[in-house]
This record gives sequence, structure tokens and C-alpha cells, in this order.
Amino acid sequence: MAILLGEPLVEFLESGVSIVVGSRDANNRPECARGLGVKVADDRRTLSLYLNAALAERMRADFADNGRIAIGFSRIVDHRAVQLKGRVIGMRPATEADHAVQDRYLAAFAEQVSYAGLPRSVVRSVRLRPALAVELEVDELFHQTPGPGAGRRIESFT
Amino acid sequence: MPALIATVAPDGTPNVTYLSQVFHVDERHVALSCQFFNKTKQNVLANPYACVELYDPVTFECWRLELRYLHAEHEGPLFDAMSLRIQAIASHTGMTGVFKLLSADVYEVERCEKLEGFIDVTEQLELDDPGGRRSELRGLQLISQQACRAPDLDTLLTTVLESLDVAFGFEHAMFLLPDETGTKLFTVASRGYSEEGIGAEVTIGEGLIGTVARERKLLRVSGVENDLRYGRAIRASAEQAGARRSISPEIPLLGLSDVQSQMALPLVVGDRLVGVLAVESRERLGFDEWDETFLEIVANQVAVGLDNVLLRERGRDDALAPAAAATDPPSVSWTRARKFRFFAHDDCVFVDDEYLVRNVPGRILWKLLRAHVDGGRTEFSNRELRLDPWLGLPALRDNLESRLVLLRKRLELKCPEIRLPSTSRGHFRLEAACRIELDESS
Repeated sequence: MAILLGEPLVEFLESGVSIVVGSRDANNRPECARGLGVKVADDRRTLSLYLNAALAERMRADFADNGRIAIGFSRIVDHRAVQLKGRVIGMRPATEADHAVQDRYLAAFAEQVSYAGLPRSVVRSVRLRPALAVELEVDELFHQTPGPGAGRRIESFT
Repeated sequence: MPALIATVAPDGTPNVTYLSQVFHVDERHVALSCQFFNKTKQNVLANPYACVELYDPVTFECWRLELRYLHAEHEGPLFDAMSLRIQAIASHTGMTGVFKLLSADVYEVERCEKLEGFIDVTEQLELDDPGGRRSELRGLQLISQQACRAPDLDTLLTTVLESLDVAFGFEHAMFLLPDETGTKLFTVASRGYSEEGIGAEVTIGEGLIGTVARERKLLRVSGVENDLRYGRAIRASAEQAGARRSISPEIPLLGLSDVQSQMALPLVVGDRLVGVLAVESRERLGFDEWDETFLEIVANQVAVGLDNVLLRERGRDDALAPAAAATDPPSVSWTRARKFRFFAHDDCVFVDDEYLVRNVPGRILWKLLRAHVDGGRTEFSNRELRLDPWLGLPALRDNLESRLVLLRKRLELKCPEIRLPSTSRGHFRLEAACRIELDESS
């Protein structure tokens, strides 16, 4: 079921792009959050997504209920974007290694956002800790760059 | 920063994407821009609930909204307004043609909350590249926001002066406002001087600041000639006044002793002068064309913001019923006494033989002190001040708030035992941490 993520895609996902996350509860009510970093495992099938643990109570409950997850990745400089949809397979508190990934992510994200006029110092004030690491597998990939083709399912990302 | 939106398909698959615009319709409704018939739209037509996060463009603070889809509009005033904004955003980001509004989708806001803990808000404005183009624009954005959103006069002037200093290096600056007579300006806020200089006056037409006020035009002076230093004119007249008994001492106008460059800008709304912004520098070529242009933009924003704040205060005060004249018998007997003396012929108030304040603020203070000592009053309203003919406030645009700011600052400096804290909109209290002795002379 889980798709294998190609190298160009992995590079894109980990490049400090804007990350947005969606979940839903038992009544099909949506919840959203900003992702604070992502790490693709060596097997390129599993992802670790980081969330602000203090703000993620509802999302955590959603994942426990049904495991459905959608994550949007968007590069600010050219609006290149994809959406992944999949299943959460585990949740755990972030470790030191995770924090290191998050710190690198935030620095890279701050760099991107500075093109849009928000100072790096402001973005770097986003709270990263305590962090929740959400492990997931991806089932579907969608092209999300704004334009007529947005939303279509794709097999690979180049 | 674009907002994000999550929706859910009937089969339980969540979807998350970005929103270019969340348009405020009224207290309970927002409209979201729909450019394509995408998954978000598909989802809400079948399952109307959406979750949105949006961000303050300056501070990046985060709000979360729970929405319920109501309907889509393909034409009409809401559609037109959103369409225009989309086009503006599109051209700015080079996406013209991609961003064409299909419909304005109206949602009810079922819940709205600020996500505390998303970001640590820093007090100070930090710029990545001071002097760089983006920083300049961002600084201007911040000042513009401060000018438009300030809740009161003092906040407006103080925050703008701080930003001018921190973000742009205008270290020595002040704001002067016109008095009731229209012939003088008085300093109401300053930054970068060893004393506050609040209350210092400038006669319109005299010196750099006075000339700018009269001509309603910006003036910039580099390599300041001695006779143009605006401090001088006042010092000269004070020296002359020393020859005769000076019962009305001047508060010296602020000025760097080693000033090299000066600039003053009029704050004008319509055909009215609402104030002057004056800046100084120790550098010979301290200000250039860029500074002129930039400060003019700031001055325009502050002028409008100032006018609005004063009008709002006035509107609020008029709308409120007069406060019941509450009487509070003094519950504490203070050991320290302060003696206030009012000189009716020039409306001066002295405290313990030291000059405190005069003119309209002087009369206001005297009125309050008398009401307190004679009648035990502690609660007062702006409205009663406006209605009292003895105070001499003009019927329109009376600048009452600026006079109260000045009075409070002078009290803080010279007589901190007397305080006039606001209690509610348009009302304030007199608090005395001393015995008050009043002496009225002519």
C-alpha cells in the first residue's frame, strides 16, 4: 500500500518548504496544523512529521481514532507544491535527533519565508518544543502547485 | 503568509491546502476565495466543515477558525471586492491569470481562537538587513500598523517614535501638537533626549518647527546654521524674559546641543495642521531625500491616525452619560502636603513654588483640585471638561486628549503624588498621595 518516495520528492519535502497538516475526527470534522519539520526514513516509505505537542491534542486524538492524515508541502519561492495522503502508524515524543532535524528545518523555512518579507528573526520565534513526532506511510501523492492541474493525483515527482 | 484550510471528504479522507485570502464579512462570517473547483470545494459541498489557520502578517501569530460552509457567490459586492484583491495579490506574486476568482465562498465562523504558544512574540522589531529594501518596507508596514491601530494618543506617538528609532535610526525625534488657540504647538512626546521636554512650546511661524507649521511644508536643514537651531529662538526669548519677572517660565524646547542636521514635517489632514514631527541628527548630512520621502509617508500615516484617535475619543466621550459625581471621604491622612498655587492672570499652576503647568491643562488641573478639596470629588469625565466654559475648550476638535496626556506627564515629572488614571472610556479618577493645599492668587 505505502508508496516509495522518489529522491527528488524526498529532497523537496526536506528542503524547508511550508508544511501544513490535516486530520479528521470520528464525525468527519477537520483539524489543521502547521508542520514543524519532516524527516523521510531511509526506506523512503515512512515519514516522521513534527508538530507542536502542546497545540496538537485534537490532532493526536484524530490520529488515534482513524489514522488518516493529509500533508501539504509548498515552496514559497515558486509555489511548487504537493500533497501527501496516508496513514499514521505511530506517535512518540520527539528525541534529540528529531530536535536537530527541526532546528535545521526552521532555519531553512525562515530563509524561504524571508523572500515573502517576514524577517527570519520572527519565524525563528516559532515554538518547536515540546514536539510530537508522527510516523506515517504515504498512500497517495497529489500535484498541488496552483494552476489548472492542481489536485490531480501523480505517481512521481520530478 | 497564506492561510491553510483542512476539509474532509465524505469517505473520511482529509485534505489540506493553502488559501490566498480570508475575507472578513462580518462578526460571524468570512469569505474564502475559490479559484478552481478543487478538492476543498468538493469536500465542503458534501461535508460543510472546514478548519483554517491564519497568521498575522507582521508578528506571525496564529489564529484557528472552525467554519461551516454556507453558500457561494459568483457576483455582487462581496465577489467584486474579493476579485479585486485577488488580482492585486496575483500581480504582486507574478501569478496573474492563475488567480481568477471563481466564487466568493461564504462560511459561518463557529469558533475562533488565538493559538497561544505557537510563537514567542518578541517586543522589539528586529530587522534581518537594516537598510535593505525589504527591511525598509517592513519597518514602514509596522509603523503604519501602529499609527492605525493605536488605542490612544500616547501609545500612538510613543510606539511610532520607538519604531523610528529602532528600525530606522532616527534617534532624536519629537511630536508637537497645536494648542487650542492655533497659534502655538506644544511638545507631547519625545525620544532620544535626556529630558522629556513635554509641554515645551513653539510659536507658529518661529524657528524651523514654527515655520513648517505655518507653511505646511517639510523643511530639511543640513549643516545647521546657528540661527536656525530651533532651540535658540526659545532660549533667546527666555533670556529676554529673564529681564522681567518671569511668572511663566518656558520649558526649554528639546534640542541636541551638538546638532548638525534637522528636519521637521507637518502632519496635515485635509486642510488642517494636526501636528509636527521633528527629527535631529549629529551628522552633517544626517538626512537625505530618502529620509524625506520616508518620513513624509510616516507623517501622513501618523496624521490620519492622530486625527482618528482624537475623533474616536471625542465620539466615545460624547456618547457616554455623565458620571455620577462620586464623593470619597479621604480615608488616609497623608503626612506630606503639597501646595498648589494658581495664577489666574496667566493660568499658571505652581506646586511648592515650582512651575507645573499652565493654560488649558493648568485650568483643568485647578478645576479638578478644587472639586476634590471643596467637594471631595474623585471621579471625573472628559465630557464634563468639554462642557465647562471656564476651561475654554473649543467646540470642535478640542485636543482634550493631548492636553490630558501633557498634564499627566507633567504631574509624573513634577508632582507624582497626584495621578489621573483612566477608569473607563471617557472617565478618570484623581488620586492623591498627599494633602492638597490650594492657594489662588490673581
